[in-house]
Amino acid sequence: MSLTARTRHFVVASLLVLLAGIGAGLAAYYMRVPLGVFQSGEPQDLRYVPEDAALVAYANVHDVMASEIRQRIRRAVPMPENGQRQFQNETGINIETDIDRVLAYLGPASAGGSGANADARPSGGLVLARGRFDEVKIETLMRDHGASVEEYNGIRLIANPAAAGPMGDGFALAFIEPGLAAVGSTPMVRAVIDRMTGGSNVTANEELMSQIRALDDGTAWAVGRFDELGANARLPQQIASQIPPITWFSLSSRIGTDLRGTVRADTRDEAAAANLRDVVRGFVALAKLQAGSRPEFQAVVQSLELGGSDKTVTLSFSVSGEVFDAIGAAARPPQR
Amino acid sequence: MIPPSVAPPTRRAPTLAASTLRVFDLSLGQMLWSRRSAFLAVLLGGPVLVAAALRLASISYGWGFRFRSQQVAGDAVFGMMIWLLYVRFIIPVLGVFYGTSLVADEVEDKTITYLFTRPMPRSAVLLGKFLAYLVCTLLLVLPSVMLVFFLVVPTGGGSIAETFPSLVVDLGMLAVGLTAYGAVFAMVGTYLKRPLVIGLAFALGWEPAALLIPGYLKQLTVAHYLQGLVTHEMPQDSPIAILLQVVREVPSVATSLTALSVIIVVTLWLAAWAVERREYVLEQ
Repeated sequence: MSLTARTRHFVVASLLVLLAGIGAGLAAYYMRVPLGVFQSGEPQDLRYVPEDAALVAYANVHDVMASEIRQRIRRAVPMPENGQRQFQNETGINIETDIDRVLAYLGPASAGGSGANADARPSGGLVLARGRFDEVKIETLMRDHGASVEEYNGIRLIANPAAAGPMGDGFALAFIEPGLAAVGSTPMVRAVIDRMTGGSNVTANEELMSQIRALDDGTAWAVGRFDELGANARLPQQIASQIPPITWFSLSSRIGTDLRGTVRADTRDEAAAANLRDVVRGFVALAKLQAGSRPEFQAVVQSLELGGSDKTVTLSFSVSGEVFDAIGAAARPPQR
Repeated sequence: MIPPSVAPPTRRAPTLAASTLRVFDLSLGQMLWSRRSAFLAVLLGGPVLVAAALRLASISYGWGFRFRSQQVAGDAVFGMMIWLLYVRFIIPVLGVFYGTSLVADEVEDKTITYLFTRPMPRSAVLLGKFLAYLVCTLLLVLPSVMLVFFLVVPTGGGSIAETFPSLVVDLGMLAVGLTAYGAVFAMVGTYLKRPLVIGLAFALGWEPAALLIPGYLKQLTVAHYLQGLVTHEMPQDSPIAILLQVVREVPSVATSLTALSVIIVVTLWLAAWAVERREYVLEQ
């Protein structure tokens, strides 16, 4: 072969692109390498979530706080900030300014419990918050509120057993990475620290991960196993039997100048999906009737769009900022 | 005594394979740096730019390709790009532009005489140039598809690991498509005097129309067999999906591969046969 230098260079460059692509693809295929540089929208902190989580939720707190729609909501419906202030008093973390992103999860319904069939895994939920934290100040504040510090697998665990936790397991906080705080009950935080050294996590749960990947790359989203959450809620049998056979549900929203979102439910079979679609269609029709006398809600109701196919039912909606202005104006007492 | 006369050593004519490789060697560089390749680069740069814009929008604003307010996963977008841009447009157009010019350009430039006076089979000229066309287009098309794949698939929750097997199938399918279209239009170029117009009419007129007509006409197209190798599922409920359902008479992979092999062998043989026997009259 007597190729010229530039032809040779072109052939080599072209083959390199091809081989690099095939190599990267093969690595991803055989080793299930996440290819983080290529992947978008999937929070990296998912590796701290247990494989059998019943619910996983994510929010880009920074984008939500900075969004125009939040300012409008605050103006329209001034909300008491007691919870936020209490959290700041106890932890020293200002949710509005210190936190960028939050990933939260709920453990499986079968975890925890008591008696002979007790599951050794910790129950309840945990929040992983990414942001800028003054670790010394937070530790001091928590100590002042009765917390103690212990070393657990090389991580400082700030635990307050007296603080009210949903499961009565106290409240704990640990900085498991620079700028990443795990907040939850003490056993749950310990479980996250255990997961740092390896072991299975939610990224190995293909079913749940495909649900997460199917979501819009939204400002906030949540995915959960409906049956697990039903069991967590411990609903009375009469109510539980009336709930449609939904396997997965998800909610995804984009928050900016307006609020757009999609609620999705996966049912056990196509007949159940058709039934659920009929029920939702009925509710949407009812809402449209009701909104006739409330002009501020008309745009919201008109934006409701029912969709989905096979075993999936989706309901998308869009709420513009003006709706909250109208609600605020309607809620304000008339000026004399 | 007069010594017996010694016959002068004769140089044996090179074989068809050796001649083909020699012509390939000569033609590859010419083909890569021709004006046609600039057009090809623009044609293939389009999908890469679209993919980069989609990716950028996805990263910066969380935008994605949406259909009926539902986010379409990156692998579905990639499938659509492969089907609509590459299979239905780029591959036939490349086949027309390059395939028809393999012999026609030499005739038009009046340089075919120089090639035909070389001590080698005439068909080697066609086969060598065809090989150069194939390598040239494959070296441009496949990296372009690779870039589009890595840019588009991760958007909207698509998975590179899960989509990779279909990428490998796509690369093979595109290679087969380039070979088949190239062979068909190489034949057209050897028989007709103005092959480009006929070629474009076939690729952009006859093929899409025949695919939509119910019956056996679609079997007279390359696209019909090529779509049997396309693995991607179109998004449900879309106009494209509805349209595809109408023409969803897709042959099996075995039938497609057999038919495409027959098309390639027969058209190349006919083209080589024509080059061997045809008298090319160069216009003055």
